Amino acid sequence: MSMNFSEFKKLIGADPGNRDPETLRARHSSPEFEAAAVEADVFEAKLQTALHIQPPADLFDQLKKISQQPVRQRNWVPLALAASLLVFVSAAGLVWKQSRTWDSVESYVADHYSHDGSDMTANATDYLSDQDISKILAKLDARADQELAGRIKLIKFCPTPDGRGAHMVVSTDQGPVTVFYMPKTQVTDGEMVEFDQMHALLVSLEHGSAAIIGEQSQNLENLVSTLRVSLKTGLVDV
Amino acid sequence: MTTDTERTRRFNELAEAYSTDLYRYAMWICGNDALAKDLVQETFLRAWRALDSLKDVAAAKSWLITILRREFARTFERKVPPFTDLEKVVIVDNDELEPDESTERDLLRQGILKLDSKYRDPLLLQAVFGHSCAEIAEQLGITKSAVMTQLFRAREKLKVQLQKDGVTGNVHELF
Repeated sequence: MSMNFSEFKKLIGADPGNRDPETLRARHSSPEFEAAAVEADVFEAKLQTALHIQPPADLFDQLKKISQQPVRQRNWVPLALAASLLVFVSAAGLVWKQSRTWDSVESYVADHYSHDGSDMTANATDYLSDQDISKILAKLDARADQELAGRIKLIKFCPTPDGRGAHMVVSTDQGPVTVFYMPKTQVTDGEMVEFDQMHALLVSLEHGSAAIIGEQSQNLENLVSTLRVSLKTGLVDV
Repeated sequence: MTTDTERTRRFNELAEAYSTDLYRYAMWICGNDALAKDLVQETFLRAWRALDSLKDVAAAKSWLITILRREFARTFERKVPPFTDLEKVVIVDNDELEPDESTERDLLRQGILKLDSKYRDPLLLQAVFGHSCAEIAEQLGITKSAVMTQLFRAREKLKVQLQKDGVTGNVHELF
């Protein structure tokens, strides 16, 4: 079935370089289509001219100098120590997890954060691959868009009042904050919880909820829209 | 095992192939020449350190873009990026365009910098790197139909801006 003019305009407006057979046929199907295609091509040429900026003349030479730096050799001793610590923390976490129930989201947030929140924040590294992030979130039927994924410094499974969730450390312009993603827990949106000189903001998501936790000097509101837009929840096929 | 010479050769090939487009991309997302240079430098520094993890050369472009985008996100953690006054961004060109064309190009540039990132990001990935809609969807973690919509709207917004500024003739106020 051939496309109508409105569909064609939208297609070439989104993808002017599209040269698949159907689009090519449509381009030449009538003067009206042809004129729209020419107009799109003209605009594209202008766009390319506008985007074309010259990089600094010495950019490539500067980059080549990077390859003269030695590649850091991995020192296995700290890694072995870290692994031992991880085993210990995991074992302690398992005992903690199996022994806890919470009568409210507020007590869960305070108890969970007091258990390992500050340690996790302190141990959050600067490197997390997309795979590390998506592997955990996919198990929770969720996914993080780049805007959020690029700021996640640590992620791990954690208990929530209603089953498994995710514990994340996320960079913000006011320093790292902790986010507990609770896929099956409902909260009162916007409720603040205060404990141990920390505060937490509860946020309802499309599916489930999150608690954003930081020091009382940190403004947590700024992360709310990023979470709502970039944390895709309730996905069955991720 | 990869030798140092082979490693350096691979790195230099990546730098030669992608540094210009990455610089352009960085410039358009941050609107600041110094920060764009820093972003590209930092991107290739991280790429050099992690080069052995890049198994598929065909994935190099997307890999570098991901590193750069993350590095840009991290600048908000390390420091507040310098404020960019869009009205004062001037990109120096050595080419010789007719005055009308030059005016139009400058208006388009202002329009691109003013676009919301949700429209600008896919547009740059398509127009600077030649990504397909499917590749953009994968890079940004959104659906292909959302990419198509955002690309269409991005161009429409630029066209409207161009017409509006062209009619009112306020070109000179931009610089």
